[in-house]
Amino acid sequence: MWGKVYTGFGYWDASAWILFFFIAAFFTLWLRSQGRSDYKKGTDQDEIYWSGNEVPEDGEDITVPASSAYWGFRKALEPFYKGLLGMHTGIATDIVGYYVIAVAFLAVFILLV
Amino acid sequence: MNWNEHLPALILIIPLFGAFIAPVCSLGGKTARNILLVAISFLTLIVAFMLWRHVLANGISYYVMGGDKFNLSLPSGMALPVRIILEVDAFSAFMALCGAIVSFAGALFSVNYMNRFTGMGRFVSLYCLLTAGMIGMMVTGDIFNFFIFIEISSIASFGLIAFWRDKPTAIEASFKYALISQVGSMFILIAAGALYGRYNMLNMAAIGSVLKMGSMEKLVLVFLVGSLAMKCGTFPMHMWLPDAYAEAPTGVTCLLVAVSQASLYGLMRVCFSIYGATMGSSFIPWMLIVFGLASMFFGVSMAVVQHEIKRLMGYHSVSQVGYMLLGLGVGLLVLDDARAMADYGFTAIKGGVFHIFNYTMYKALLFLTAGAIYYATGKKDLNEMGGLARRMPYTTFMFVIAAAAISGLPPFNGFVSKLLIYESSFAVHPFLAVVALVTSVLTLASFVKVFQTAFLGPEKSSLAKVQEVPAAMLIGMVVLTAAILGASLFPSWTLSTLVEPAARALVDQSGYIGAILGGGM
Repeated sequence: MWGKVYTGFGYWDASAWILFFFIAAFFTLWLRSQGRSDYKKGTDQDEIYWSGNEVPEDGEDITVPASSAYWGFRKALEPFYKGLLGMHTGIATDIVGYYVIAVAFLAVFILLV
Repeated sequence: MNWNEHLPALILIIPLFGAFIAPVCSLGGKTARNILLVAISFLTLIVAFMLWRHVLANGISYYVMGGDKFNLSLPSGMALPVRIILEVDAFSAFMALCGAIVSFAGALFSVNYMNRFTGMGRFVSLYCLLTAGMIGMMVTGDIFNFFIFIEISSIASFGLIAFWRDKPTAIEASFKYALISQVGSMFILIAAGALYGRYNMLNMAAIGSVLKMGSMEKLVLVFLVGSLAMKCGTFPMHMWLPDAYAEAPTGVTCLLVAVSQASLYGLMRVCFSIYGATMGSSFIPWMLIVFGLASMFFGVSMAVVQHEIKRLMGYHSVSQVGYMLLGLGVGLLVLDDARAMADYGFTAIKGGVFHIFNYTMYKALLFLTAGAIYYATGKKDLNEMGGLARRMPYTTFMFVIAAAAISGLPPFNGFVSKLLIYESSFAVHPFLAVVALVTSVLTLASFVKVFQTAFLGPEKSSLAKVQEVPAAMLIGMVVLTAAILGASLFPSWTLSTLVEPAARALVDQSGYIGAILGGGM
C-alpha cells in the first residue's frame, strides 16, 4: 500500500516524500518561532512596506488582475498567440471545419501508408 | 438468484429508471426530487463498485440482452453472437467506477447549486440519462449499441448545457456541441454500418476476431478515431469543449468530464480490442501521439491567457486529454513488440490509464470549486475576484489539492501518472517527454494565477458578504478530494489494484474476444 511505484527507469516513494515534508515543515515552523513577537502594534513597525511608495487605502487598487498576469510571457510569444487565438474564432462552421479537415487528413494518409 | 451476474444490466437500469421516474418524482416536491437524484447516483456508484469487484475476482463479465439466457453469448448452432451483449472487463469496470464516482459527486453538488432554479424535474431526468449513456458506452460490447449510447449521452448533454435557456451563450454552446457532435456521430454510424456490411456482425469482440486490414477497414478506423478523439476534446477538434464546459451548470460540467472519458474509452477499445495487432502500420499510434502532444501544448497555452475560470479549466481539459493520448499512443505503438512492451510500453499504458482516473477526479473537483465560487460570489471572471480564501476556507483547501494534483506536484496522484508517462515516452523519443514536462510547468503557472487572483490578495469590497457554500456542495467536493488523496498517499495500492488490472485487460485482445466467442461453445 505504501510501497514504491517502479517506473522501469526509477521509482517513486510517496512515504519518503511525506517524511521529507514533515521534516521541512518542522524546520520551517521552528525558524518562524525564532521571530520577534515584541513589535509595537499600531506603529510604523506593522505598516506595509511597498517599495517606499505610499500604500493605497483600498487593497483593490494594488491588485494585479488575472488578465494582466504573465503579460511578459504573452508579449514575448505574441506571434504564436496571434495565430492560436485567431484559430479560435468560435464560429460553428469553423469548429466543424477543423474536425472534417482532421478526419480527411487522417483518411488520406492512412490510405497512403 | 445471484445478483452479481446481473450487475452489467443493473448498472444501466438504475440510472435509466431514475431518468424516467424523475418527472413523476418531481411532483412530490424539491426534497423528493433531490433524494431521487442522490439515491440514483449513489446506487449506481454501489453497483459500479460491486461490478468492479466482481470482474476483478471472476474475470470478464458479459450479459446477453434479449436472448434465451443472459449468460449464453453463443446459443447452440450459432457461430456468431447476434444479440446485444454487454461485455465488462477490468478496463470497462474501472471506467464505470470512475464515471459513477463523478456522477455521485456532481449529484450531491447539484442539490444545493441548482436549488434556486426551476425546471429541476427535467434536470434530474437528463442528469440520470447522461449517466446512463456514459456508463452504457463503457459496458457495451456492441458497436452499434455504442453508437446508441453516444447518442443518448449527447442528447442529454445538449439539454443540460442549454439548461439555462435564457442565457444566449448557453444556447450557443449547446448548438455548437450539437452540430459537431452530430457530424461525429454520423461518422461513427457510417463506420458501424461499414463493418456490418463487411463482416455481417456488430459485436466488437466478434469483429476483432475476423478483422483483416484493407482500405475499408482503414477508413473505418479513421472515422472512429477521428470522431472519438473529437468527442474527448483533442486538438484541433476541441473548440466546442471550453464553451460547453463553461456554460453548463457546474454539476453537469463535472459529469461531462467523465463523459469525455467514455469517448476516450471507446477510442482505446477500438484501437486495442477491435484492431489491436492487426492494425499493422504505426500510423494511427503515431497520430495519437501527435494529437496528444498538440492537445497538451496548445490546450495549456490557451489556458494560460484565459481569465474566465471555467473556460480556463476547459482548456486544461484539452491539455490533460493529451497526456492520456500520449501514454496510450506509446503503448499502442509497441503493441506487437513484446520486448518494447515489457520495457516501457506497458508502463505508458499504466500511466495513461492512471491518468484517466486522476484527471477525472481532479478535473471534476476543479470544476466543482469553480462552481462553488460562482455560487458564493455570482462571478466567473477572475478579474473580479480576490481574497476568497478568508471567506471560503474549505473550498480553497480543496482547490489547492486539485490544482497541485493537475499540475503534477509531488506527492499528488497527478505526479505519479505523469511520471510514468514522462519516463515511458522518453524511451520513444526525448522530445515527447520534453513537451509533456513543459505542459506541466505551464499548467502550474496557470493554476498559480487562478489561486493568486481568486483566493489570495486583498479582499474585494464587492465580496465582503461572501460565505462558504452549503454542506451538500462541500460533501460533493469532499468525495473527489478523498479519491485524490487516496490515490496520492497510496499510489502503489492504486496502481496494483485499480490501474494494472485495467491496463492488462486493455492490451489483452484475445481475452476480450475469447470471453464472447468462447461462451456457450
